[in-house]
Amino acid sequence: MRDFKFIKSKPENEVDDELQFHLEERIARNVASGMSAEDAQRAALARFGDVGGVREECAKLLSADRKAESRRDLFDDLRQDLRFAFRSAVRAPLFSLLAVATLALGIGANAAVFGVVKSVLLDALPYADPGRLMRLYTPLRSSNLMRGAFSAGSVSDLRERQHSFSALGVYQSVRDVTYSGNDAPQVMKALWLEPALLQTLGVRPIRGPGFRDDDGAHDTATVTMLSYGAWQRLFGGDANIIGKSIRINGLPRTVVGIMPREFVPPETQADFYLPLGMSPFMRDPVSVRGSHNFGMIGRLKRGVSAEAAERELDAIGNELEKLYLKDNVGIGMTAVPLRDAMVGDTRTPLLVLLASAALVLLITCANLAGALLSRTIARRKEFAVRVALGAGRGRLVRQLLTESMLLSIVGGGAGIALAVLGLGALRGLSIAALPSYASLALDTGAIVVTFALALITGLLFGVGPALSVGRSDPQRTLRDDTRGASESVRTRRMRGILVAGQIGLCVSLLAAAALLMRGLLAITSAPIGVNSDGLLTFTLQVPSGKYRTTDSRVQLHEQVEQAIRTLPSVTGVASMTALPTTVTNSNGIFIEGSPRSPNDPVPFILTVIASNDYFKTLGVPLKQGRAFDATDRPNVPQTIIINEAFARKYFPKGNAVGSRLHIGPPGPDLLTIVGVVGNVRNDPTHLMPEPMMYLADGQVPFGDTYAVRTTGTPTLLLPEVRRAISTVDPVIPMYKVSTLNAVIGDAFRARRLPVVLMTAFGSLALLLASVGVYAMFASMASAREREFGVRVALGSSRGAIARLVLRQGGSWMVIGLVIGAIGVGVASRLVRTQLFGVPELDPIAIGIAVVALLVCATMALLVPVRRATRVDPITVLR
Amino acid sequence: MFAKDSGLLQGTVELLVLKTLSWGPMHGYGIASWIESATDDALSVEEGSLYPALYRMTRKGWIKAQWGVTENNRRAKYYHLTAEGRRQFKDQMSGWQRFAAAVTQAVTTKAAPSWAK
Repeated sequence: MRDFKFIKSKPENEVDDELQFHLEERIARNVASGMSAEDAQRAALARFGDVGGVREECAKLLSADRKAESRRDLFDDLRQDLRFAFRSAVRAPLFSLLAVATLALGIGANAAVFGVVKSVLLDALPYADPGRLMRLYTPLRSSNLMRGAFSAGSVSDLRERQHSFSALGVYQSVRDVTYSGNDAPQVMKALWLEPALLQTLGVRPIRGPGFRDDDGAHDTATVTMLSYGAWQRLFGGDANIIGKSIRINGLPRTVVGIMPREFVPPETQADFYLPLGMSPFMRDPVSVRGSHNFGMIGRLKRGVSAEAAERELDAIGNELEKLYLKDNVGIGMTAVPLRDAMVGDTRTPLLVLLASAALVLLITCANLAGALLSRTIARRKEFAVRVALGAGRGRLVRQLLTESMLLSIVGGGAGIALAVLGLGALRGLSIAALPSYASLALDTGAIVVTFALALITGLLFGVGPALSVGRSDPQRTLRDDTRGASESVRTRRMRGILVAGQIGLCVSLLAAAALLMRGLLAITSAPIGVNSDGLLTFTLQVPSGKYRTTDSRVQLHEQVEQAIRTLPSVTGVASMTALPTTVTNSNGIFIEGSPRSPNDPVPFILTVIASNDYFKTLGVPLKQGRAFDATDRPNVPQTIIINEAFARKYFPKGNAVGSRLHIGPPGPDLLTIVGVVGNVRNDPTHLMPEPMMYLADGQVPFGDTYAVRTTGTPTLLLPEVRRAISTVDPVIPMYKVSTLNAVIGDAFRARRLPVVLMTAFGSLALLLASVGVYAMFASMASAREREFGVRVALGSSRGAIARLVLRQGGSWMVIGLVIGAIGVGVASRLVRTQLFGVPELDPIAIGIAVVALLVCATMALLVPVRRATRVDPITVLR
Repeated sequence: MFAKDSGLLQGTVELLVLKTLSWGPMHGYGIASWIESATDDALSVEEGSLYPALYRMTRKGWIKAQWGVTENNRRAKYYHLTAEGRRQFKDQMSGWQRFAAAVTQAVTTKAAPSWAK
C-alpha cells in the first residue's frame, strides 16, 4: 500500500524547512554553551557555509528526484494496469476469446480493405513524378466510347502539333507470344512500346543499357527487355542474361535490360517488352488512320495545366477532323491524369467498401461495449472494494480502458494475420478487377494505421463501461444492496441503444449487399444475345505485307475457314473484326432519304465485319431478310446487316431491308441493308443493347478474329486448329486464344469483387448483431432473475415471463429496425451506380436483408428467453 | 567540519553518513552532530555540504527521507538506510579499510627502494 500523498510542497520550501531546522538547532546549542544570540547565529552560519548555494543545489536535486519518481510511478502503474488487465482477461477466458475473435474479424477486415485502398488510391504510381503524367484518348463523339485508342496517323499528327507535353510515348495492347527457351515453348505476354514511352514515364532498367531511340526503327524488334518477374521466373535472376539472345515468336532478340521490380505498364502486366516503331504502320494506307490500336501517355510540360493540355488536344482533334474527313469524323482528342485512368471506375466501389468495413468495426465496438458493460456489472463488487481501499476512480477508469485496449491490440494483431491471409486469397480473385499496380499487400503504413485503429477501437468500446464504473456508489454495492433492479436504468438503456444501433447498421449493410447481389445477378443473367458456350476464339496476325490485295485476303479467309471446318467436332466457323462484347470500332452513318441539318450530330454506330457464317455460328437469330452469303463479294455493291436496335431506332416503320445508307461523310457509295438480326449487347454491364451494323467479310476481308464452335471442349481443339491453319499458311501467328465465355466473363469480373466483399461484410455484421442480441437478452434475463423467481412463485405463467423479456428487448430491436430503415436509404443511395437497373429501394433485396436479420435475431434470443422461463424460484430466492 | 583542503574524497562523506544512519534514523543536524563527536571534530568542512550529499544518496536509493517530529515537537526530515544502503555500507566499509591499510603499510614501510639516497 502506498503512502498517502500529501499535496506535495515545492522543493524549495521543503529544503528551506530542513536547513532552517538545522540552523536553529545549531544556534540553540551555541546559546546553551554560553554564546550570545548574535554570536550564536554568526557561528552557526559560519560553520554551515554557503546557505544559499546549498539550498539551490539541494532544491535542484530534490526536484529532479521527484520527477524521476513520478515517472517511475507512472511506469509502475502502467505495468500494474497491464498485469491486472491480463489477469482479468484470463479469468474470463470465453469472453476474452470471443472479444479477441470479433475484434480480429472487424479490425482485420478494415486492415485488408485499407491495404487495398491505400495501394490503389493513395500510393504513388511506379513512375517518375507521376503527378504530371496523363493518358491521352481519342473519344468517339456521340458514343459510349470515351477511351478510344489512337491511330498511327493521329499519333504523328499530334506530335507535330502539340505544345503541352514535354514527352509522349505510345504502346500497343499486351499480346500473347511464344517464348522458346530450353524447355517446351510457352505462351507469355509481350508489350510493344516505344523507347520514348519509357523516357516519358521516367523509368530506367535496373540492369543493362535498355532501349536506344532507334531500336524501334526496324520492322521487327531485335532487342527485348524482361520484366522483373519474368527475369526471376525464367532465368532465376541471373545477371548474365543481359546480352544473350532469346527466341520470342520464333525470332531471336537480344536481352538489353531488366525492368525494376515495382514497374508496371500502364494497362496490364507483361513479361517481355519490345521496342515499337511507328514506320510500318505509317506505311499502310488503309490502317494508318483506320486502325486505332495505340495507347498514348504524355508528360505535361512544367507550367502547363491539365486543363490547358485538354483544351489544346480538343482543338487538335477538331483540326484533324476537318483535315481527314473520311477517317477522323467524330473523333476527338482528350487526356486524363494517368492515375485516374489507371484507377478506372474502381474508386467508388473501393470507398464504399471502406465505409462498409468501418461500419462492421462500429458494430463490433457496439457489441463489445455491451458485453463489457455486463462484465463490469458482474465485477462491481471487485471495484467497490478497490475504491474503498483507496484506488482513485480515475485510476479504475484508466485500468478498465487498459483492459479493453489490451483486448483490442491482441485482436488487432490477430486481425492483421487474418488480413494477410485474406489478401492472399483475394489476389487470385481480383487480377482483372483492380489496377495492375495495386500490390494487395499490407505495407508498414497500413500496419501502423491498423494498430492505431485497434487502440481507438479499444477506447471506443471501453470508455462507456469504464465511465459507468467511475460513477457507481461503492457503499451501496458493498452493503450488497442488490434488491430491485441490479442493472441501473442507465445501463439498460445504454445496452439497448447499442443493440439498436447494431441492428440498424447490420440491416443497412445486408441491404446494400443484397442490392449489389441482385444487380450482379441482373447483368450476369441477362442474355447477351449470342450462344456463347463451346466457342474457341483466337486472332490471327495477318502480315499486311504478304497479303496486300483484297483478293488475296478474301482467299486467305476462305481457305482458313475451310481448313478449320473440315476438322471433326467443329460445327461452325465464323470470322469477325471483334468478338461480341469487345467491339470498339464505330462509324458515322447517313441514311439515304432521311433529311438532316448540318448541325445534327452524326450518329456513330458500332461496326463489325462478319463472315457469312457469323450469325449462324454465334447463334444470333435472323429477324428479317438474309445473312451474308456467296453473293457478297468484292467489286459488287456493298451490303450491310443491322441489328434490331438499329432498325427500331432509325426505321420505325419497319422498312429497313432494302433501304440504303452511307458510311462516313455524304458521298456516292451507298450500302444496301439486306437483313436485320437479333441484338447482341456489347457492354454486358448495360441492359439496353446498342444499335450495331455488320459488314460482309467477303467484301471487306479484315475480320481476323475467329470463333470456332465445337461439340467438345473448345481449348482441346486448339492444336488441331493450329495445324489446320498452318496448312494454309505456316507462318501466321495466332494469339489471344480463349473461349467466348471467358471473354464475356472478364467483363463481369470487375463487378463481382465488390459484391463478394460486401456479402462477406454483411454476413460478418449479421453474426455480430446476432451475438449482440443474444448478449442483450441474456444479461437482461439474468439481471431480473430474482424478479422472475418471485413472479413464478406468485403464480405467474412461464409464457408471461417470456412475454416480459420479449417486450423489453423487442422494443429496442424495433428501434434498431427504424434506424435500419434510414440506413438502408443511405446505403442504397451509395451503391446506386452498381445496381444496373435494379431499383434503389428494391423490395426483394430489402426484404431479404430484414428477414435474414429477424431470423438470426430470433434464433439468438431463443436461448436466453427459454432460460428465463425455466427459472427455479427456490434456488433464486435463497 | 570537512576542510575543503583536507583532500578527502566525496565518498568518505557518504561512508560517514552511512555509518551514522546504521545506528538508526536521524535528521541532518543529528548526523552532523554525531560525526562531529565521533571524529572529535577533526574534520572541518562546511557543515552545509552534508545536505547535497544526503540528497544525492537519496537519489541513488541508499537512504530514504521522511518528515517526522523530534522530541521537542519540532518538524524535521529524518533519513534512514534502505536495504541497498546497508549493502553499500558494508562494501564501502571494507573498501575503506583495505585502502587505509594499504596506505598505512606504504607510508610506514622501512624497506627503501633501490634508487633511495
